[in-house]
Amino acid sequence: MLYSDIGKPIKKVDNDIKLSGKAKYAADYNISEMLYARTVRSSCSRGRIKSIKIPALPEEYFVITAADVPGKNRIKFLTDDWPFLAEDKINYYGEAILLLVGADRALLKKLADEVKIVYEEIPAIFTIEEALNNVKKPIYGTDNKFADYKYEKGDVKTAFAKAATIVEEKYSTGYQKQAYLENQSMIAVPGKAGKITIYGSMQCPYYVKNALIQAIGIDSSKIQVVQTVTGGAFGGKEDYPSLLAGHAAFAALKTQKPVAIFYDREEDTAYTPRRHPAEIIFKTALDGENNILGVKADVKLDGGAYAGISEVVLQRSIYNICGVYSIANLQITGAVIATNTVPNGAFRGFGAPQSIFAIEMHMESLARKAGVSAIDYKMRYMAKQGDTTATDGVFYDEIKLPEMLAKVDQISDYSKKKKMYGEQPQFHKGIGISLFLHGCGFTGSGEQDIIKAKLKLCKKKNSQRVEIFAANVDMGQGLQTTFRKIAAKALAIPLENIDFPYPDTDKVPDSGPTVASRSIMIVGRLLQKAAEKLKQRWHEDNDIEIIQDYEAPARIKWDGGKSLGDAYPAYAWGVNVVETKVDPLTYEVTVTGIWTVFDVGQPIDERIIEGQIQGGVVQGLGYAGMEVMTNDSKGHSRQNNLTNYTIPTAMDFASIKNCLVESSYEDGPYGAKGAGELTLLGAAPAYAAAVGQAMRIHIDRLPITAEYILDEVIKHG
Amino acid sequence: MVKSFMPKTLAEALKICDEHDVCPIAGGTDLMVRNHQSAGILPTFTKDMLFIKNIDELTVLEKKDMHLIIGANITLNRLLNWENTPQILHLALQEMAAPAIRNMGTIAGNICNASPAGDTLPPLYALDAIVCLKSIAGERELPIREFILGPGKTALKENELLTAIKIPIGDNNINFYKKAAMRKAAAISKVSIAMTAKKEKDKIVNIAIAIGAVGPTVVRLAEAEDMFIKNNENTGKVLPDIYDVYDRQIKPIDDIRSTAKYRKQVAMNLLHYVYEKCIK
Repeated sequence: MLYSDIGKPIKKVDNDIKLSGKAKYAADYNISEMLYARTVRSSCSRGRIKSIKIPALPEEYFVITAADVPGKNRIKFLTDDWPFLAEDKINYYGEAILLLVGADRALLKKLADEVKIVYEEIPAIFTIEEALNNVKKPIYGTDNKFADYKYEKGDVKTAFAKAATIVEEKYSTGYQKQAYLENQSMIAVPGKAGKITIYGSMQCPYYVKNALIQAIGIDSSKIQVVQTVTGGAFGGKEDYPSLLAGHAAFAALKTQKPVAIFYDREEDTAYTPRRHPAEIIFKTALDGENNILGVKADVKLDGGAYAGISEVVLQRSIYNICGVYSIANLQITGAVIATNTVPNGAFRGFGAPQSIFAIEMHMESLARKAGVSAIDYKMRYMAKQGDTTATDGVFYDEIKLPEMLAKVDQISDYSKKKKMYGEQPQFHKGIGISLFLHGCGFTGSGEQDIIKAKLKLCKKKNSQRVEIFAANVDMGQGLQTTFRKIAAKALAIPLENIDFPYPDTDKVPDSGPTVASRSIMIVGRLLQKAAEKLKQRWHEDNDIEIIQDYEAPARIKWDGGKSLGDAYPAYAWGVNVVETKVDPLTYEVTVTGIWTVFDVGQPIDERIIEGQIQGGVVQGLGYAGMEVMTNDSKGHSRQNNLTNYTIPTAMDFASIKNCLVESSYEDGPYGAKGAGELTLLGAAPAYAAAVGQAMRIHIDRLPITAEYILDEVIKHG
Repeated sequence: MVKSFMPKTLAEALKICDEHDVCPIAGGTDLMVRNHQSAGILPTFTKDMLFIKNIDELTVLEKKDMHLIIGANITLNRLLNWENTPQILHLALQEMAAPAIRNMGTIAGNICNASPAGDTLPPLYALDAIVCLKSIAGERELPIREFILGPGKTALKENELLTAIKIPIGDNNINFYKKAAMRKAAAISKVSIAMTAKKEKDKIVNIAIAIGAVGPTVVRLAEAEDMFIKNNENTGKVLPDIYDVYDRQIKPIDDIRSTAKYRKQVAMNLLHYVYEKCIK
């Protein structure tokens, strides 16, 4: 099959194995002599371990503690502070202390229940406020900040000096759990001469490999990481698999047997990273006509007990704090705060959903103050091609927001309904609109300075088949299909002649992690370039190997130290409209309409993009109104399964009507940009604006539960 | 290890109940979830299990004399599709759980689980449902409000089986059901209300209102209902007193799903709606 139009949908190449049940997930591996590891966790949220009493273990049952970590007992992140297994210090309820390993999982559970750990408790810190008020001993450094950022643009001092009024508002957002179908799963298999092979559900095989090199203190050649079919990830399998692979590897090294760790839903929900709760404060200087002179914003993310990758999450929060608006004078501060709770991590949107919600609601509020419609007020500040970004970079490409707004208004009747619902408060109906962008790929200079992606393409002599060697994974988002389409089109050969095995670090170069909506735009572009080179050499009568390195687009300038310049090479854009009806008796929200318009550049497969939109918008609506996750007084998650952590079902929302605008990005494959994360960002603010109109309240937090709506209704009389 | 019994007749089952300390299981949609373990570990039941699915006598579903008889094996889905299911119960079943659970779960199980948030309970309270209990020694019948004693607690004796539910056939012509929950399917109720009433010549001559998830058991207040019916010529006068009765006796709690404040407010909102709008 040849492609003239790459966007035209094809059947995903893994549909059959997934629908038939043939796909082999980690838990389907049946390796002879395989043992299981069960994690024994802390029941104390902060303290020191005074003693551990392990029950008598039967033969062929083992205990793995921090003392069994051959190398450095810290997971390799930007800051190496998170131990694989606790040494003496405990920083959160549920922290892994030791593993029990053996063949019978029921017996392991019984033994684990008999482990007695005594703690010396230290008063724990559970909130951002407590972490900053200096009453309790800091968890991290002297100020409890894992990261602390500040940047400015323009002249914020003069702007505030000239202000007629200054509007100050605070927004807060809650946890969100990735709730992938397949829980975290990892298997380590010991090989010859100290080699360890990892099979598991993951987004970033090389993160896992590099983490193990450090943790085992071993040569790179001794660690092989193979991704297994992965049943969803949403960021949740970016950071945590490094920890899990460590556990499995330590156990495999000690027992010299294959060791599997398969989390169940309870363990996965309660103890693995979630989206960072955020507190965001805007102080906006307005002139006499309520025009924005300047904005001061402060973002605080609850990082949990260890730094992990939170600093990078914060970067995305603070660099996207202005949403789609070009604001001349800015002063932005941001910090990741340490608390004695489960460390937070990556989740689709990566710090941006919190900021986009806050700026969109702030703009709603400013519009009300100015006495104009939200959309008119937003349009005053909407960025155009050539305008500067929050970090004083440049929006190089055309911004199609005006066209997208016109389109969404046409399909949703937004303007008419907004007016109508405003005049009919008795019906408790509302409609909200959100405008948003997503910086595609890594923040800042990560691609050229840290990742340095490399992709390989091979064709054997006398063969018509081409094999893609890349470390990027299919986790359900369709990369197995889209990468093949890109290669097939560039080579003008049938898709069936392209091989793209699941990544195995012994075979594939490091083309970087499967994160940050980068796989298509960055790695897909390398693939296209490599395929075009291979096509030129197709006639050669020998094996051909093409290695394609990443080259940063020439126009990108970034100074990370100053947070100055182009934080992203390109932006994808979205406009969402959500219509709601609120039951005035129960304060329950019904979503009666969803309309979306996206600019993701050229879709590599329209149906796959449609899938991203359906999933992203619904996940965003879950974040907005449904997904409540809280800790009890010991910092222990009150939600631990999919009955009490409620994610949306197919019954919950109206169907989504979507349009894509025609667009092309010069540095993406066939014009494609990132799409995966963008689709989640706009749902929450559009939903919040709709509920706000329906109930005549101002929404300043997520999730918007019925209980919260009741409180606001009482407050507003 | 626990034992499993799979009798084919009720007589056999009752004998097993008499001789062993067993836990009856029909659809298992509560019991399997409550006792499930991590992957690779069998569910851990603490008692021997009595599987009642093969007992034909418990699979009756019929209209008999003045009652509907619903056997203990009748699934939620079967009731959802039965033409004689009272409308108020039907309304609750439509929103209950999800198809897979409705295909396995039974109404008898929902009763014996005795959760204050059990979805079929408010309609059953409002319908004056009766549970039929049998043991080797004989049989007895109890109104559902006397059978359910508290969260997870029932009046079922160790050697007894709940064999059927009897619902008096009524001719109520107004029904209202509302469940507030986190989502529209597969959700546990935060608060729910079931109302069934009969209107004759513009007058309400019969009304039953049951509220779920606002106390240890479903709340149905005969005192309030009687006040309303006695004053059905001029209900406006007594409504404040009626609400006062509810206000005093609805005492919800905070839990993982919701707050006492929300439950109380929503229950009162719904009561106002029911008394002032629904039956107008």
